[in-house]
Amino acid sequence: MRDYYPLTAAQKMHHNWIRDYGTQQVSGVSVVASVQAELDFGLLKKCIQMETERSGCTRVHFTKPDQDGNVKQYIVKQDTRDIELKDLSKMENLAKADELMQQWAYETFDGDNIPMCEFTMLKLPEGYNGFFVHMDHRLIDSCGLVIMIGDLFQLYTYYRYGTAHPQELADFETVLKKDLAKAGNEKRFAKDKKFWEDQLDALGEPLYSDIQGPSVLEIARKRHGNPKLRSADIEMDNLFVAVKDYHLEPGPTQNLIDFCMNHQLSMTNLLLLGIRTYLSKVNNGQEDITIQNFISRRSTHEEWTSGGSRTIMFPCRTVISSETDFLSAAYEIQNIQNRIYMHSNYDPELIMEELRKRYHTPEHTSYESFYLTYQPMPVKVENEMLGVVRQHAKWFANGAATKKIYLTVSHTEDGGMNFSYHYQTAHLEEHDMELLYYYMMRILFKGIAEPDMSLGEIMEQV
Amino acid sequence: MNQEMKFKNIVAQYSNVAPEEITNNMRFREDLGFSSLDFMSFLGELEDTFDIELEESEVMKIVTIGEALELLDNFQ
Repeated sequence: MRDYYPLTAAQKMHHNWIRDYGTQQVSGVSVVASVQAELDFGLLKKCIQMETERSGCTRVHFTKPDQDGNVKQYIVKQDTRDIELKDLSKMENLAKADELMQQWAYETFDGDNIPMCEFTMLKLPEGYNGFFVHMDHRLIDSCGLVIMIGDLFQLYTYYRYGTAHPQELADFETVLKKDLAKAGNEKRFAKDKKFWEDQLDALGEPLYSDIQGPSVLEIARKRHGNPKLRSADIEMDNLFVAVKDYHLEPGPTQNLIDFCMNHQLSMTNLLLLGIRTYLSKVNNGQEDITIQNFISRRSTHEEWTSGGSRTIMFPCRTVISSETDFLSAAYEIQNIQNRIYMHSNYDPELIMEELRKRYHTPEHTSYESFYLTYQPMPVKVENEMLGVVRQHAKWFANGAATKKIYLTVSHTEDGGMNFSYHYQTAHLEEHDMELLYYYMMRILFKGIAEPDMSLGEIMEQV
Repeated sequence: MNQEMKFKNIVAQYSNVAPEEITNNMRFREDLGFSSLDFMSFLGELEDTFDIELEESEVMKIVTIGEALELLDNFQ
């Protein structure tokens, strides 16, 4: 007898994007993890098979959608598929192999009751060997994937070199059941609902802001024949996304970290302040700004090691006067973010439903153009045997963004930070990203140098 | 299990410290490695486990295990 479970709020978020945009591509996640060393591919295959046993989320299948497009999930006992080995070692260089893998990342898992996870072992150019894993985000988020890949390499080095056996992982199904039970807790639900509705009671309808300025909202107002419209259209057809990465050097990165440490701020909140100040600057000093911020809901050991898709986004809405000084503004953001964390078991779709109910928000419009993920975990595999070996790990974009701009900020091995801007090419160009990064940095560094300066002055000076 | 032990068992799920090694003067962030998200999730779990309702403005001031236990005692 098989157990069927509904999707969690985090899974539903991805599922709704698939349903609304009509393609599973929007939910794809792909990574290559490799080392510049010989690998025993027979053993690696065994370890991958063991990993699919250890990580229950890799064995999640979805039922056929019902008439409303909803699916249920179940976990198959075993994944008996063979793991293919592809030899790309004769390709010109790693970059060429990456280009090919980027094409694989665009592929979709189409169908019901099928595996949504695929491993491919790889011989790569320049002496690298490893594997490519392609999954559906309803099964796993980026943090979960980093942990799973680390676990797999630990299994490999345990059997190959006798290093420590990886610690036991929490059981995905057990944690899933707990999450669903938590979501079904009526008292908790009522508190979370109240928090989100109180915010609307206090602030009213949010107001769209765009890095291209107020003209975007004006166009939407004309299109909908409503001069008071406060949400703008989102792209539904051309979802192609390009990626532009910028590297912030270790020195300036340390300055940001020190500022956070000295003022008991988290990096997420400092970044949110940088983004919202830029949005305010290019929208004639707009004070009411909302940014969607992704939260990786992993706090307990169980949550960290159970895999699954736990990342969920919530609107971080702040109304901050331009007279507010930089540090006070950072604390305002921190205050609201902390409260959001406390109510992050809520399904964000219900927030949108409430907005639609209260303000008759037109279909396919949004109050946000900007999405942020701050990823404090390194992509690098931490392993005592692999510590000295050169690694090549790379995330591949799925090529179909549901978001106009999606910024992922992560730390790099050299002590710097990477700012990875995924932007919809239907509306934005690389030059927009150059401006955005340039001004974000100017705002952040002006702010941390003179935290008593008002946001208005900072906007004027940068 | 008494309230204090139940409380420390929950704390231990969020940190690398065993329940019996958790002392009242330990600070959530600096000594136990809680992030803001960890701390707020933890408070939510306290509310559910002990069936209490915490004042958000009050809980933001909590720094140590002892302070959190004191707050919990006030509900008894």
